[in-house]
Amino acid sequence: MQTFVTEAVDWPDTAPALRERVRALVAEHGERDQVRRANSWTKPDPQFSRKLGKAGLLGMTWPKEYGGHERSQLERYVAIEELLAAGAPVGAHWIADRQSGPLLLRLGNEELKRRWVPAIARGEAFACIGLSEPGSGSDLASVRTAARRDGDGWVLDGQKVWTTGAHVSHFMIALVRTEAGSERQKGLSQLVVPMDTPGVTVKPIVDLTGAHEFNEVFFDQVRLPGSALLGTEGEGWKQATAELSLERSGPERYLSSMVLFLELVRHASVHRNPELDMLVGRLAAEAWTLRLMSASVAAKLARGEDPALEATMVKDLGNSYEQAIPQLVQAAVDFGSPDNEVLRAVCFYLLQVSPSFSLRGGTREIVKGIIARGLGLR
Amino acid sequence: MSDTRRMLAEMVDPLFAELGPDATEAKDLSRLEQLGLPLLLVPEDEGGFGGDWIDALTVFRLAGYHALGIDIPALAVERADGGQCEQTMAFARTCQIAGALDAALALSVAYANERQQFGRPLGKFQAVQQSLAGFACEAAAANCAAMGAAQALDRGDAGFEIAAAKLRANRAVEVGTTVAHQVHGAIGFTQEYALHHLTRRLWQWRSEYGNDAYWSRRLGEHVIEDGADAFWPNLTARTDP
Repeated sequence: MQTFVTEAVDWPDTAPALRERVRALVAEHGERDQVRRANSWTKPDPQFSRKLGKAGLLGMTWPKEYGGHERSQLERYVAIEELLAAGAPVGAHWIADRQSGPLLLRLGNEELKRRWVPAIARGEAFACIGLSEPGSGSDLASVRTAARRDGDGWVLDGQKVWTTGAHVSHFMIALVRTEAGSERQKGLSQLVVPMDTPGVTVKPIVDLTGAHEFNEVFFDQVRLPGSALLGTEGEGWKQATAELSLERSGPERYLSSMVLFLELVRHASVHRNPELDMLVGRLAAEAWTLRLMSASVAAKLARGEDPALEATMVKDLGNSYEQAIPQLVQAAVDFGSPDNEVLRAVCFYLLQVSPSFSLRGGTREIVKGIIARGLGLR
Repeated sequence: MSDTRRMLAEMVDPLFAELGPDATEAKDLSRLEQLGLPLLLVPEDEGGFGGDWIDALTVFRLAGYHALGIDIPALAVERADGGQCEQTMAFARTCQIAGALDAALALSVAYANERQQFGRPLGKFQAVQQSLAGFACEAAAANCAAMGAAQALDRGDAGFEIAAAKLRANRAVEVGTTVAHQVHGAIGFTQEYALHHLTRRLWQWRSEYGNDAYWSRRLGEHVIEDGADAFWPNLTARTDP
């Protein structure tokens, strides 16, 4: 048995130059505040997204015909790991660039592709994902939001919840029931819903830190054209779960607390003691390993393989790592001392937001269930 | 995997499986010599096998997987280095840990699917599934760490990677051996059942050529001396072309 097929990742020759470009751009326009650098892929900054668009760093792998830059998947990987490691505010475009754009290119009709994909690549169109509903969290197949045919178009009614970035997004790709009376995974489809359509209402949900990242989204008699259907009617479940492979193994699954690790290194270089040395060593080893695992999945995805099991393992390990960092730092560092202000602020911020790391993109329990099935259990 | 590497694995796998934990140098070394394994790392023009470090990973990992009774990594490293270099042996133990964890995981999954309690296989219970999933992640991390170190050795300087890989593999031993024994219940604790060949070696290898404290301290000192701002640029420069 070898559950994670390891391989030597062939990093692109262009990587060093690409890193320099991203680093320069972040140094000039990135986030200065260390707390806001933590978990930076949930921090929207539309201006920064447009700058990345201008620099050719969005839609990097997409066809030029749709505003992309036809770079390789690993080149994109290099660019995004640089942005995340630097704590750049990539939240506005993150979902659109990571999964909505690729999904539209793969399954979208020409009208949808022309309308959205080039705008995503320019950093001007942002997306959100409509999955969870009030009665439908981990049990995603129980979605009840429904669209019925009306002439050539659709009429959408229902509600989504925990929708990250709905308030800054231009469109949602929603998983909805398109066959009345259908149950579970059957009869579901994906619809592209422009957020400015009449009948769409976004209400903020404020999180425990006081921040507004996710929302409730209500659909009241929302009229959509026939072209809003993404892919095949009734295949929504398959389409939506295939999309999850793309989002489970990226560097955002282990780098959310990187800024705190770096602050810990800064602290430990002033306050030398063997315990801190060992903690830094342990966290560095884990970062090194997770980077290889995540990149190895990216290399497999780039070849058109579907390393679903490996991707899921990266998410589980990565989330546990980024959650452990604030706990370990708090246990090891005396926050009573006045020269620890930045370290303390970043740590306390991450202590509060890190519970979400093993909820978003599939809870730890769901993720481990998927791994167990991949191992041949059940 | 390249064709020669696949051939190497296909030769070594059944032999190690056959020899297993009971192999001794006195009885079985000639079988290993027939395949040229003690000379694995000696260059071809010096009459050796001329393997690279990913070949070494392949062979050492299988030695761990089958709990081979002969310390073939030590023999191969001794022939290549003239002595047992601490770093190279730490790499070897990392590869063996990776293999033994995968083997213990395979045994545990098979046992969980076979053993019935409360009228169904253990593998149907969520608590057992979640434990084994965690074990699989640790085994995966150890295997990826071993591969990362092998690649670094092929590039040249691998001090950072070997430290990180041995440390990561050491940490995986804890979850792996704990879950393997827990899932197996009492049978896994017997001399008759094969699990102890793996787990007792895993506990031994975790201590050999640098335990967690040793490598975490060395790695930590190194990272701290380079400074916070150098961490990420150094990490990426080590893999970039």
